[in-house]
Amino acid sequence: MRLRGKKFLGLFLLVIFFLSFFILEFNFAQQVTQEEQEEIIQAKEDQEKIIPSPQNIKESTGIYVFVAWMWIAIFVLIYILRLKIREVDRLLKLRFLSAKKK
Amino acid sequence: MKTGIQSWLDERFGLSIITKFLKEKTVPQHKHSIWYYTGSAILIFFTIQIITGFMLVFYYKPTLEGANESVARIMTEVPLGWIIRSVHSWASSFMIAFVFIHLLSTWLTKSYRNPRELTWMSGVFLLVVTLLSGFTGYLLPWDDLSLSATKVGTDIPSSIPLVGVWVTKFLRGGEDVTGDTLTRFFGFHVSIIPVFMFILLGVHIYLIQKQGMSLPLSAEAKKEKVREIPFWPNFVYREMIVWLLLLGILFSLAIFFPPSLDKAADLMAPAPEGIKPEWYFLFLFQTLKIFPANIFFLPGDTLAVFLILVVGIMFFFLPLIDNKPAERKGRIITVIALVVIGYAVVMTVWSLL
Repeated sequence: MRLRGKKFLGLFLLVIFFLSFFILEFNFAQQVTQEEQEEIIQAKEDQEKIIPSPQNIKESTGIYVFVAWMWIAIFVLIYILRLKIREVDRLLKLRFLSAKKK
Repeated sequence: MKTGIQSWLDERFGLSIITKFLKEKTVPQHKHSIWYYTGSAILIFFTIQIITGFMLVFYYKPTLEGANESVARIMTEVPLGWIIRSVHSWASSFMIAFVFIHLLSTWLTKSYRNPRELTWMSGVFLLVVTLLSGFTGYLLPWDDLSLSATKVGTDIPSSIPLVGVWVTKFLRGGEDVTGDTLTRFFGFHVSIIPVFMFILLGVHIYLIQKQGMSLPLSAEAKKEKVREIPFWPNFVYREMIVWLLLLGILFSLAIFFPPSLDKAADLMAPAPEGIKPEWYFLFLFQTLKIFPANIFFLPGDTLAVFLILVVGIMFFFLPLIDNKPAERKGRIITVIALVVIGYAVVMTVWSLL
């Protein structure tokens, strides 16, 4: 019974020993693959690289609204300018024709 | 009908001479007229560069310790700082692209011919100054990539015999790229180069106004009277449409594709792999790369730099070389122009692969 108890204790300690590699994260036995290593380096690099972008939903909405309004304003202004061009070109043509008649 | 302020200003500055000139100025209309819009587009981008540059200089610190940190601050803390930096960066690329297009269109339409030789020469100077502005601005964020690219870029003149080493030392402010180079490049970027650019722009614009808009050789050869429209308002309205579209594209790109910032450069660290300059130097970079180490007992890089210099000098004196543009010689030069454009595109693409 005592022997069984010792065997049980030995087996229990062995299981704990193996489990400890996973539970306690003993680094000396941890094998890091090449891909994992690259991922760690990439993550570190990403932390140090500043990629500008809107910080929150309010900012990003503001930016999208600004871009939309900007393009609407541009197309409206282009439409007005096209009308103006047509007008000044017609005036030029009329002046040209009246000068020719003289 | 002049208002009180207009009369007051006219009495003091004589503005009526300018307004009279603009009212009388005409622009020819033909199938190559589209190239006329590139000149004013460059001016628009230059103005944006000045305005955004002023904004950035309020926060930028041109020191070894402060440069990268201050750019990071502009991008993360300053309100809309990242957009202003992005617009500055994209506008520089747009400006250089339009300077290239403007010069190449002038080359292909042979608009540099007599009496516009000096207009062309001032334009080539402006191209060089614009490229220098881009090159000096590239170092200012002081990250690994900009440091390595500057090391490579400032090393190129050292291949020139006699003066080369001195030029490299002058650019770097010493033997190597250090904090002194950063301070020096900042000085070039914000004061010396803009002053030269303003002077050259003044000369260039004056010459264009003095000589008038040139006609392409093909339009002149027909000997028919080309239709002309008044500069104000007919042509300016048309230009405004181009400006609006370009501004829309510029702001959209700046907002959706802002340039990132790497960690501060380490002077002791080895150069990172795959260093490449900005897109406008890629064809020169690839040209230097493909040259072998030695050609007929001569160092390959010296020969490459020498050839680039010769081509540059010939490009500057092109109006004097191509003095008979309508004849066979002129046609050969047009073919050479197309080959040069093709070469630059192929080299740029090759470098990107």
